[in-house]
Amino acid sequence: MKKKLLIVEDEKNLCLLYKEELTKAGYKVTAVMDADSALKEIRSHSFDLIVTDIRMPKKNGIELITQIMGLRKDVPIIINTAYQSYKHDFMTWAADAYIVKSASLEELKVKIKELIG
Amino acid sequence: MIERYNPLLHEFSMETSKEIQLFSIIAQSFFQPFSLLDNLLVIMTALTAGHGLGFNRAMLFLANGDKLKGEFWLGPASAEEAESIWRVLSTPGIGYPEIIEHNRSLLNGEVDTLSARIKKMSYPLHKGESLIPALPVSTNEIVLVRDARNESLVDNRFREAIDTDEFLCIPLLAAKEALGEIIVDNAITGQPIRNRDVELASICGLFASNYIYTAKLQKRVVDMKKVAAMGEMAMFVTHQLRNPLVTIGGFADQLLDPKIGPRKRKRNLQIIRSEIRRLERTLLQLTQFLRVDIREKSSVDIKEMLNLVLESVRPRIDSLKLTIDVEVEAGLRFALCDPIHTGEAVRNVVDNAIDAVGNEGKIYLRAYRENADWAVIAVQDTGPGIPESVKNKIFESFVSTKEKGMGLGLAYVKRVMDACGGRIEIKSVEGQGTTFKLYFKTQPKERGAKK
Repeated sequence: MKKKLLIVEDEKNLCLLYKEELTKAGYKVTAVMDADSALKEIRSHSFDLIVTDIRMPKKNGIELITQIMGLRKDVPIIINTAYQSYKHDFMTWAADAYIVKSASLEELKVKIKELIG
Repeated sequence: MIERYNPLLHEFSMETSKEIQLFSIIAQSFFQPFSLLDNLLVIMTALTAGHGLGFNRAMLFLANGDKLKGEFWLGPASAEEAESIWRVLSTPGIGYPEIIEHNRSLLNGEVDTLSARIKKMSYPLHKGESLIPALPVSTNEIVLVRDARNESLVDNRFREAIDTDEFLCIPLLAAKEALGEIIVDNAITGQPIRNRDVELASICGLFASNYIYTAKLQKRVVDMKKVAAMGEMAMFVTHQLRNPLVTIGGFADQLLDPKIGPRKRKRNLQIIRSEIRRLERTLLQLTQFLRVDIREKSSVDIKEMLNLVLESVRPRIDSLKLTIDVEVEAGLRFALCDPIHTGEAVRNVVDNAIDAVGNEGKIYLRAYRENADWAVIAVQDTGPGIPESVKNKIFESFVSTKEKGMGLGLAYVKRVMDACGGRIEIKSVEGQGTTFKLYFKTQPKERGAKK
């Protein structure tokens, strides 16, 4: 059975890129572009891992993580952001990994593999 | 019965005591905008102004690294010059501003022969082996030299320059940091330096130290702010560049896959192209922001400028369901500003208004005469308004209420308005909308005025 990933990324092109590349890497990928859509997906489906951006319109990734924790879903979360600085926000410590976006998706793929195989 | 006194002692008469005159001059400097040179000049003035008030001449050395360097020397070069200076300074009705003005002209003018003599002087500030004038700073002592000709502790070159037997050295120190030294003498009148003079001069030294120290702290704060701003800027730029780069890199990697089909190849190239355009826009915005440099202002036809702005935002307005209502007062005077930057600034404000109202709403663009000298361009929107918490920060760079904003737009607008000698005002009520008012200085329409 393929592992299921949820990608939350508000940049259209990046969202597409992650979906394609992670599908190619052998995962079943659902990609959404904002936190509320992500919550809707999480409530109705189960995922093996969530990858989320932080700086997004309306609800940001940190609020999303807080709400996921409130749902008591035991799912690993990877933060994937362009900012180094959110590492100082202690709420990001709740995530299982913090990745600064890079043109190579290797780090992201390696972290996903580490966490869920 | 009441008696009335002027709260500021503007006139210095012979009868007023030395101390009162001294404190009066220094106290008045507290009400001036802080400028180190002016404030030090005040001290030097307090030391030398008036016939019987203080010393004849005062020189200032400032510490620069481990060297004590000559800055300026205030006072007459000869007895004749002394007469003329003191005549000016004892004119009835002369006050603090006149004295400062006089001293400034001394420093800048051709009469300044003394300063030229000490400008090139520089003495190392080593503990133990230093000679006067560096000695008092090294040991933190006030030193009164009585017989300079026969005193081996006085540096030879300095003895020649000051050319007088008796002088007083007051070290300037704060928080154990050597800041400089003031040296005063009575070379013209030949009056001996008394204990009372030493005491008064040492008080002046304390004031001067305080001024120099404050200026140093101020500079440190400014430097720190600059570093902080640079850091913030670096962070934003990194972020603004990273997302498009990640996208470009990712889709370029896919292109390297030999199995990629023609359709996907074309799509990837299109994505890469659009991301590169985005990078270009970001860089353009940044350079535009960094390069606001308005040297010359010209008369700009406000109506014409607004038409250009409207033309450039028209496609955005048409793609949304919003209306823009424009009204320009007839016979509006020309604005004195930079046509290109100002146009860009107004476009930024209008763009913000469009962002604020979103898909449906109304924007009012007004240009009218405020009074004889000022014209206003007002941009009002029916958007959500600016949250109270960010209202006083919106003109700072890298502050944005938009998730994708660079936070440069309004900072840029403010810089342009400042550079044009105009100003910007903002009124915003949460839930009701925002109005930006740009104030421009105007000038009458002239034939042949540069457009």
